Amino acid sequence: MRVLIVEDERRLAENIARSLRESASYAVDIALDGEEGLFMAESNPYDLLVLDLMLPRVDGLQLLTRLRQAGRDTPVLVLTARDEKESVVKLLNAGADDYLTKPFDLGELLARSKALVRRGKGKAAPKFKVGDLEINTLDHSVRRGERAVTLTAMEYRVLEYLAHRPGAIVSKTELLEHLYDYNWEKFSNVIEVYISGLRRKLENGSSLIHTVRGQGYILQDPDA
Amino acid sequence: MPRNSIKSRLIATVVISQLLLATGLVITGVEYTHRRLVSALDTSLEGRAMSTAALVRYTEATPPKLFFDADLARVGLDKERPDLYEVTIDDGKVLTRSANWPDVLPGREKARKGHWKFRLAGIPYRGLMLRHVPILDREANEPPAFLDIVYATPMVEMEQQVWAAGIYIAVASLVLLAMTVVLALWGIQRGLLPLRHLVDRAALVSAENWEFVPPEETEQAAELEPLTQAMTTMVDRLHGSFLQQREFLGNAAHELKTPVAILKSTLQSLMQRPRSSEEYRVGLEESLEDLQRLERLLQWMLRLARAEQWAHGALRRDLELVDLAGTCEEAIERLRGLAQERHATVRLVSEGQALLRADPEDLQLVWVNLLENAVRYSPEGAAVEIRVSRNNGGPAKVVFEDHGAGIPAEDLPHIFDRFYRSDPSRTRSTGGFGLGLAIAKALVEAYGGTISAASTPGEGTRMTVELPVSGE
Repeated sequence: MRVLIVEDERRLAENIARSLRESASYAVDIALDGEEGLFMAESNPYDLLVLDLMLPRVDGLQLLTRLRQAGRDTPVLVLTARDEKESVVKLLNAGADDYLTKPFDLGELLARSKALVRRGKGKAAPKFKVGDLEINTLDHSVRRGERAVTLTAMEYRVLEYLAHRPGAIVSKTELLEHLYDYNWEKFSNVIEVYISGLRRKLENGSSLIHTVRGQGYILQDPDA
Repeated sequence: MPRNSIKSRLIATVVISQLLLATGLVITGVEYTHRRLVSALDTSLEGRAMSTAALVRYTEATPPKLFFDADLARVGLDKERPDLYEVTIDDGKVLTRSANWPDVLPGREKARKGHWKFRLAGIPYRGLMLRHVPILDREANEPPAFLDIVYATPMVEMEQQVWAAGIYIAVASLVLLAMTVVLALWGIQRGLLPLRHLVDRAALVSAENWEFVPPEETEQAAELEPLTQAMTTMVDRLHGSFLQQREFLGNAAHELKTPVAILKSTLQSLMQRPRSSEEYRVGLEESLEDLQRLERLLQWMLRLARAEQWAHGALRRDLELVDLAGTCEEAIERLRGLAQERHATVRLVSEGQALLRADPEDLQLVWVNLLENAVRYSPEGAAVEIRVSRNNGGPAKVVFEDHGAGIPAEDLPHIFDRFYRSDPSRTRSTGGFGLGLAIAKALVEAYGGTISAASTPGEGTRMTVELPVSGE
């Protein structure tokens, strides 16, 4: 999953990014002003936007409105220092999905971010199953039937992304865009390494992840 | 606590004036009745005296002699207190006297002619003395003779009539007074009704509802119109300063929350998992920096609050005379580091000495704020000029002129607002809070001065401070 943080306080942005990377295994980009943020949000497929309200150049509310007008339905978590009812209502009506008032708790920000990403993928429960594959997005544990599977961080991220869209063909580019920050191009060959690692670890008589030649990968419940 | 009621005061005024009126009415009424009755009595007295004179006639003997025909004499209207009379012939010989004629008639010598009053045995009398009355019933052969007649009648009945009139007027006045009080009470009650409605409307004004609509009837009442006007403007002014305070509080909260949020996120992300000691060190250093920023912000806010308190006249101190140019030099010295970093040249031009009663620290703070802006927002190597001048008798003038980017016209009216930043990213990265100019303004105003800004984008900004000087 890939997240964009638009926040003009560099240190706050970096702290949030570190937390999201470490505790949620998300790829994180940072934009320090509204203009840059809008450009990045429009040109990359983010799974979550963490948006500060008071921004230089283009303020958060404007950014949000323009993003929604452009038809982007990326989940948006707004950070605001004001918690008056009117401004919150205005925010939600402009298309925000959730908000946190500063100073917030990093743990809460993480939980809300995960919930929003989940919802954005059409899943409500933090634990979900595809066939006999069970993924827990809270502690990143994976089971195949009765067997616990130990994955590396990157393997987990690939699997989580594929499992959120079972039965759909996911291109290598899409995977790269969602799993890496803006430097994704240079990682284009490593995806294959993770996929083969996943296949090996998840092997249980039937294979889950298939390659669609020239198009990408597909995670499919063998019994479906 | 006894209150001063307008209603009872108005009623008291009405009652007192009515009582005065009633008293006056009774007195003049009694006086008038008395005069009329006395004048009527006098006329009747004259008539009776003359009819008594008519009873004096000559005997048919020769020579004819005068006698009084007492049989025909009248006793007057009051049977119990008959009239008194005495008829004297010219030569002083008493011809006749009424039966009840006293030994001494009081006041007789005073009234040599005409009417007088006297009391006899406790009874008031009205007397009349007629002199030189000719014999009315005289034949041609009878000698002419003249009479002096003293006639008196009791005034008891008349006095009773005067009393009755007095009591009648007094009772009528009191009845009228009672009616007036009732009417006045009703009228005042009604008259004060708009005031009560005004109070009801005023009671609706609160921190949540600042709308004050005076009732129409008070706007139409000439006496209440200035009051409602004053109340309306007062509510508007209060609302304005309330909004300003709330905005300041909101801004202050925002400004305080941001560094707290950074600090909290730094510490929480440090604690999320075990870190290397290098990571802890960096985290603690960053936290300390953020704390220092928070501390600086608090200092600025307190400074602003203090300056604004002075501006409202809350504090006046014993101050010494300070040389304006001297404080400017101090400010330049303080910002020498920044000026060198930006390769800026700061030039101070002093045209005449200007002395002011002030705390030099306050003035320096103003100059430092203005100079810092001028240096920071000018391109590197730019020149900033400070000119101190003084008009004869007028205020001292300190002008800061830079050749920087200037201030966009839409920002110019707001630059003295608290927490105002035309470009938040630029000032935040340079460590400003948007309070410097607000503090400068509050301080200048605390000393009775003015501060203004003029700017042409692309050419530069000129800040002008005018301060009233003290006599040397």
